[in-house]
Amino acid sequence: MSKRVPADISHTASVVSVRGVTKTFLQRRRGNRGILRNLIHPERKTITALDGLSFEVAPGEFVAYAGPNGAGKSTTMKLLAGMLLPNAGELSVLGLSPRKDRIAIMRRLGVLFGNRTELWWDHPVIQSFEWKKVVWDIPEREYQETLDTVTELLGVKDLLKTFARELSLGQRMRADLAMLLLHRPELILLDEPTLGLDVMAKRRMIGFLKKLNAESGTTIIVTSHDMDDLEEMARRILLISGGKAAFDGDFSALRGKLGCVKKAVVLFESGERREVPYQDTNRFLYELSGLSGIADVSFTQTSLEEGLANLYSQNEKNV
Amino acid sequence: MADKVTLRRILRLFAISARMDMVYLLRDTKFALLGILGDLVNNLATVSGVFLIAARFGGIGEMNADEVLFMMAYSTLSVGVFTLFGSGNNIFISRIIGRGQLDHMFTQPLPLGVQLVTGGFAPFTGGGNLLVGTVLTVISVSRLRLAVTPLWLAALIAYQAATLAVTVARSYIVSSLAFYAPAEAEEISSVAINDTWVVGTFPLSGMPKALQIPLLTILPEGLMAWFPALCLLGRPPLGLTGLYPVLFALLLSLTAKRIFKRGLRNYVQKGSSRYLPYGFRR
Repeated sequence: MSKRVPADISHTASVVSVRGVTKTFLQRRRGNRGILRNLIHPERKTITALDGLSFEVAPGEFVAYAGPNGAGKSTTMKLLAGMLLPNAGELSVLGLSPRKDRIAIMRRLGVLFGNRTELWWDHPVIQSFEWKKVVWDIPEREYQETLDTVTELLGVKDLLKTFARELSLGQRMRADLAMLLLHRPELILLDEPTLGLDVMAKRRMIGFLKKLNAESGTTIIVTSHDMDDLEEMARRILLISGGKAAFDGDFSALRGKLGCVKKAVVLFESGERREVPYQDTNRFLYELSGLSGIADVSFTQTSLEEGLANLYSQNEKNV
Repeated sequence: MADKVTLRRILRLFAISARMDMVYLLRDTKFALLGILGDLVNNLATVSGVFLIAARFGGIGEMNADEVLFMMAYSTLSVGVFTLFGSGNNIFISRIIGRGQLDHMFTQPLPLGVQLVTGGFAPFTGGGNLLVGTVLTVISVSRLRLAVTPLWLAALIAYQAATLAVTVARSYIVSSLAFYAPAEAEEISSVAINDTWVVGTFPLSGMPKALQIPLLTILPEGLMAWFPALCLLGRPPLGLTGLYPVLFALLLSLTAKRIFKRGLRNYVQKGSSRYLPYGFRR
């Protein structure tokens, strides 16, 4: 007699395994015409958020998960966190099924959505941390050690006695991140963690996440619309568009795929200004050193965002 | 960190809820005490109105004024039990569903049931009605010269549990609408619960059976105080057994569980697009 294996379990060494995952939503269409008819037979449209998406994330990776609005980034995060179930495909998080093993996963997973807080709104920050200690059943010693470390690293020591509702957005995000780390998650899912942060708060957040990934080997998957942020944080970028993986690789390969061009703007003593495209940086610098009469050189390249905008619009046309 | 939800862990969860309730009370004691006093006055006004009518006319239906006072005491006690365990939105569950805040609960390493049972425990801000209800019960029991035996006390606890179960089950049944119409049904649990409290304080003795029966079945307001109070006084109405409130509570709870689970399955399929960041938390 064979045991029935749940459809969304796959046994793999990956921290995250997504295989052929499809997620659709039914959207009710509303309009002024045909109100009565719509009451009896509501008009619905099927929205395909993810369309057979597949990818794997290895332990210790820092992955940027990018895509245009409505591409399915948050849906993927919710699927991985067990907040949603897929229509088809296999999902595995830390070798477990989000459908069947939600509780076991949540002990080892940290999730943070930039637009929401896990802090208790009308309580001092430390009270939320104490609450988390009990709910996650974190041993006292481990809790104290982690609390000391994260409050120091994230600079939230002075915020512990402040009510969550009185924090600025940057402070709230740091406090939320500190709370997220209290149970020492092996995998962290961050959905738009830099959303709305000012430059200083953003730098601090990015610096901390890089350090966390490098020093403790925590696997991080982060979404953002800001490609500069993502490039600074992650080594690998997974781009989705129209619910499918449009690119999976490193940032330089993405630049190559998008046709991003490196350019040098050379200003000569004569006042002449020349834009010179190049491929190999070392070779170009060598050739440049042989020239005389150069007053200034600045380097530039087509931004990833420009390239991505082209890619997204092409995909939209194809859809 | 064990996965098992032990009794010790459940007690710790109740304790952290109690602690947070105390912190909430202490952060602004003046306003918290005013809030508690407001609740007490509101509840006392509801029950004293009915009692004064009973006192003026020498009883209502087949119940004398002291029996009506006992029924009011039972009602205040049941509101007290409710506010003791349901001061979060754990019983006003349509708010959590409608606002998309079940997502917060999915990320906790605890079964949803445990979160819901322990999350609304508020002995400091929610204990006022329980205290007044206890005092009223002691007064009415002494005026009625009831023999308070351990068995009678056990029956009182069982009936209170059944009343709470009916309130919770009813709230969860109507709140399940919020899985399908989150914006429209976000506040439906408060309408259901508050109406239960208001109508539930009327003694149904002397009313026609055609009115009593629906109020013990379709809209079980009669089970909020009237029926269990008469059972505790030793004369269950309508020739029904004294076990009726417990059996009804069990049946309604099983129905609520089934309907709620079905709604929950719908939630994890379609998600929520109505997320509000802080309503789930007090």
